[in-house]
Amino acid sequence: MQHLDPDHHDGTSDATPGGERDKRRPGELLFAMALTGASLFLLFDAWGIENAFGPNGLSSPRAIPLAATAAMLISALLVTVKTLRLPLDRTETVMKDILPVTVILFAALLIAYGVLLRPLGFLPTSALFLIVAIKVLARRGWFWTIGISLGSLVVIWLIFRIVFSVLMPSGVVPEAEFIQFFRNLTAGGGA
Amino acid sequence: MGSLMDFLTVFTQPQLLALVGVGTFAGVYVGAIPGLSVTMAVSILISFTFSWDVYPAISLMIGIYMGGVYGGSRTAILLNIPGAPSAIATALDGYPMAKRGEAGTAIGVTTVMSFIGGFIGIGVLALAAPMVSDFALRFQPRDYMLLAILGILLVGSLSQGSLVKGIFAGALGIAIGAVGRDPLTFTERFTFDLQLMEGGISFIAVMIGMFGVSEALLQLHHVDKAAVRQKISRVVPSIATVKKHLPLSVQTSTIGVVIGALPGTGGDIAALMAYDHAKRVTKDPERPFGEGAMEGLVAPETANNAAVGGAFIPMMTLGIPGDAVTAIMIGALFIHGLNPGPMLMIDKPDMFWFIVGCLVMANFFMLLFGLTGIRLFTKIVEMPRSVLIPLIMLLSIVGAYAVNNSVSDVYWMLGFGVFGYFMRHYGYPLGPVILGVILSRLLDDNWRRAIITEREDLGLFFKGVFASPLSTVLLVAVILIFVSQTPIWARAKAKLLNRKERVQ
Amino acid sequence: MKRVLLGALGAIALTATAAVAEYPEKEIQGIIQWGAGGSTDTVMRSVTPHAEEALGGTIVMQNMTGAVGAIALNHVAGSDADGYTLLMGAENPMLYKIMGLGEKDYTAFTPISILARGTPMLVANNDAPFDTYSEMMDYIKANPGTVRFGSTGPGGLPSVITAMIETVEGGLDVIAVPYDGDGPALTGLQGGAIDVMPAVLGAAIEGIRAGNMKPLAVFDTAASDKLPDVPAVVDANDGYNTYLPWGPFFGVFVPKGTPEDVVAKLSAAYAEGAKNPEFIELMEGRGFTLMGISGDEAEAFLSKWQQGTAWLLQDAGLTKMSPEEFGIARPGE
Repeated sequence: MQHLDPDHHDGTSDATPGGERDKRRPGELLFAMALTGASLFLLFDAWGIENAFGPNGLSSPRAIPLAATAAMLISALLVTVKTLRLPLDRTETVMKDILPVTVILFAALLIAYGVLLRPLGFLPTSALFLIVAIKVLARRGWFWTIGISLGSLVVIWLIFRIVFSVLMPSGVVPEAEFIQFFRNLTAGGGA
Repeated sequence: MGSLMDFLTVFTQPQLLALVGVGTFAGVYVGAIPGLSVTMAVSILISFTFSWDVYPAISLMIGIYMGGVYGGSRTAILLNIPGAPSAIATALDGYPMAKRGEAGTAIGVTTVMSFIGGFIGIGVLALAAPMVSDFALRFQPRDYMLLAILGILLVGSLSQGSLVKGIFAGALGIAIGAVGRDPLTFTERFTFDLQLMEGGISFIAVMIGMFGVSEALLQLHHVDKAAVRQKISRVVPSIATVKKHLPLSVQTSTIGVVIGALPGTGGDIAALMAYDHAKRVTKDPERPFGEGAMEGLVAPETANNAAVGGAFIPMMTLGIPGDAVTAIMIGALFIHGLNPGPMLMIDKPDMFWFIVGCLVMANFFMLLFGLTGIRLFTKIVEMPRSVLIPLIMLLSIVGAYAVNNSVSDVYWMLGFGVFGYFMRHYGYPLGPVILGVILSRLLDDNWRRAIITEREDLGLFFKGVFASPLSTVLLVAVILIFVSQTPIWARAKAKLLNRKERVQ
Repeated sequence: MKRVLLGALGAIALTATAAVAEYPEKEIQGIIQWGAGGSTDTVMRSVTPHAEEALGGTIVMQNMTGAVGAIALNHVAGSDADGYTLLMGAENPMLYKIMGLGEKDYTAFTPISILARGTPMLVANNDAPFDTYSEMMDYIKANPGTVRFGSTGPGGLPSVITAMIETVEGGLDVIAVPYDGDGPALTGLQGGAIDVMPAVLGAAIEGIRAGNMKPLAVFDTAASDKLPDVPAVVDANDGYNTYLPWGPFFGVFVPKGTPEDVVAKLSAAYAEGAKNPEFIELMEGRGFTLMGISGDEAEAFLSKWQQGTAWLLQDAGLTKMSPEEFGIARPGE
């Protein structure tokens, strides 16, 4: 059958399976089984939804979640059985095609971002994230990396914080005082 | 005569004209950035334009609205990351075109078609608003429920790989939509007794994670590959192209107006339904759907811009919002001392015609800005991936936070980003997940309303369905579409056709 | 190196706070408990700019929705009590405890201003086979379990009004169809999905003026001057006098423990803002009763409101937990 992309997979388009059509990709079976397990768990959880203020019949808040999780379980089981029947694609490996080091590194960076966001604040966390990420990917000089990172961060901050007044966690940076300082300055100048 | 003057107000006052223009321009960029939504922009404008007169304030808001609905398509085409939920279907065929270096053509077609769709929406608003709103009011809870089921059946056309995997994704979406306190009884669902879960999962966060972060993670596989050079010489589509797609665009615009006019459904569902419709009626596309079919761009883009005019219909005639943005505009009119409601058209007919005028103007500005700023936008995709990928990730994070000012939405977004990455690898379609989340409440709330009304009696429920022509039509549509998607139908059809050939 | 830098920045921030004691020295966050475009949102966005003027500071308003407003309430309750985070909310939190929705209510807050109170009323679909409150009650008695009432979930205005009717009239056998707000429910009413809706006057008034729905009764001790032709419910049954006037309210709050001078400044600013003629016109046009109370007066109003409503719901069997468990005394005790 047709190989979708010479570089193992193209994968950039939604719902286009990578790898070969009639072969099982590494980890695919595990993923399908995990989904089946999760569906089963959610089905049990949906069964436990109780209507505190009325009957638990067709109109209860449980009805649709129960139907949805049941559909999840059945389809996940079907997928698992189908996947089980396919032969494993021996030309692909998890480390090369599914989870290369860069992807793991970025997933870790994103988790670190999530953990640091609240204590450290948006500006320092984002600056660190951008500098590390761009340095790793572009492998260029520190000067260039830091310049690009801070430059784009300032633009993003200006758009979201000043124009759209989205108050990201400020953490250790006294953002609000800083803005007030400029506000006073412009107000003073204008008056 | 008076209404013509009101309609022309915006054209004769340079200040208002400029505000519509500025609004539309800003809207295109607001719409293009995932996480910056028109809803957000318009609600901020309420405080910002507080001390203004009502005309300038409305001009600016309408510009942002029109531009924003269109802008969502930009990033969908160029980066495979829909800037707004209504552009999800646009990515399906738009991004494959960009990968061939045809982003310019794709954006050109999108712009012209959005313009046509926008005009059809405005036309219906101007000429038939009372009729359409009467029709929209006639939708009962059971009709909304049937509409939601009709929507869920779109899973079939959004699943390009395997249908079973698509069904799983759709059901998962419905379950995600149910997380948190149920809005009707306040019962906790899938919260595992965690306070974090009570507010539910914002569907914008799911969308940004699944499309933004997972796409960025996938792109890491080929950081060093040079970006596709985009041809942007032939942006404006030829008259022949426009003519060819005109019949389809009229049909999909109609879908857009009606879905947009229904309170509780908006451009996102309209665009997906229109995509499905295009797939059904297009006999032989030049390229298959999902690989860059022009029809796959025309349908959602005409529909979501037509839905703008549609959303104003119940707002202007009844004071009922057609979607989230018109809900905020009703608040704005209220703050500016008007009484939005069914009497607005009678008390202040000038407002109606002024809004129609602004919409027309915004539509023209959209065409203008849509066809001119393309070079700058395509530069974004030609940026080195080593810079683009981290920036997409950061924008996804800020965008997810901005939706509801909550850090937990950021965590959800990241979680779904990683999950979506695996889904892409193993051939699970992402579109149905978002479809499920969008439709979850519509289905759940209205099913329960409908069955409570019939005192939990299924017999009475079906009696009610068949007693109403509207419900019957919807039910028949649901059955027909369902049957046409199952393999039995395909087999039966093949048999029938074979027999016919033998007879001849 | 980085730590030193951050420490230095922090130190600057601290000295800055110490040096400038004048409140507000930075922008204030206003957390709106409900979504954009709702009535709480509209009221807050229209009064706050006037209050900002009086205060001489900036208040950045944000919508934080979810879990019937509990998410926003918990967020503000958990923030520093320094007056830089305001909660802009409606009446619902007063019922969180007895509805099992959360452990906190406005007792964890200091009221800055209770801005206004709404008046509830009953409206019906134009095709409903009754035109007045008494005809409706007769119809319900003759046809039990057929009339469809709109509701907005446990603890919402419709549930309180139906509880009131049940208590006063003794029994109300209707179907309660749940909606996620009075806007969608009134839409359903006009389309014939429900027959009767208890709604706040401001939400229904335009529909009544246009003849898209018919008013049955105003739930107040006297008719409203906005709708002088609609009788007050006490005219039909004076048993309602015990519970009325009652209505949902809007208010601005700060966490308990906020310095008194800050509370005083904010209260003064909102009191000034609420006096703005444009705001008054806007609120009165929608049938809201302006209150503009703060301090002890507001605290007394809140606790009286909570007692009355909580026990009304408790006696109608609509609560999850008894008000007694939270030390909410029965009114008059």
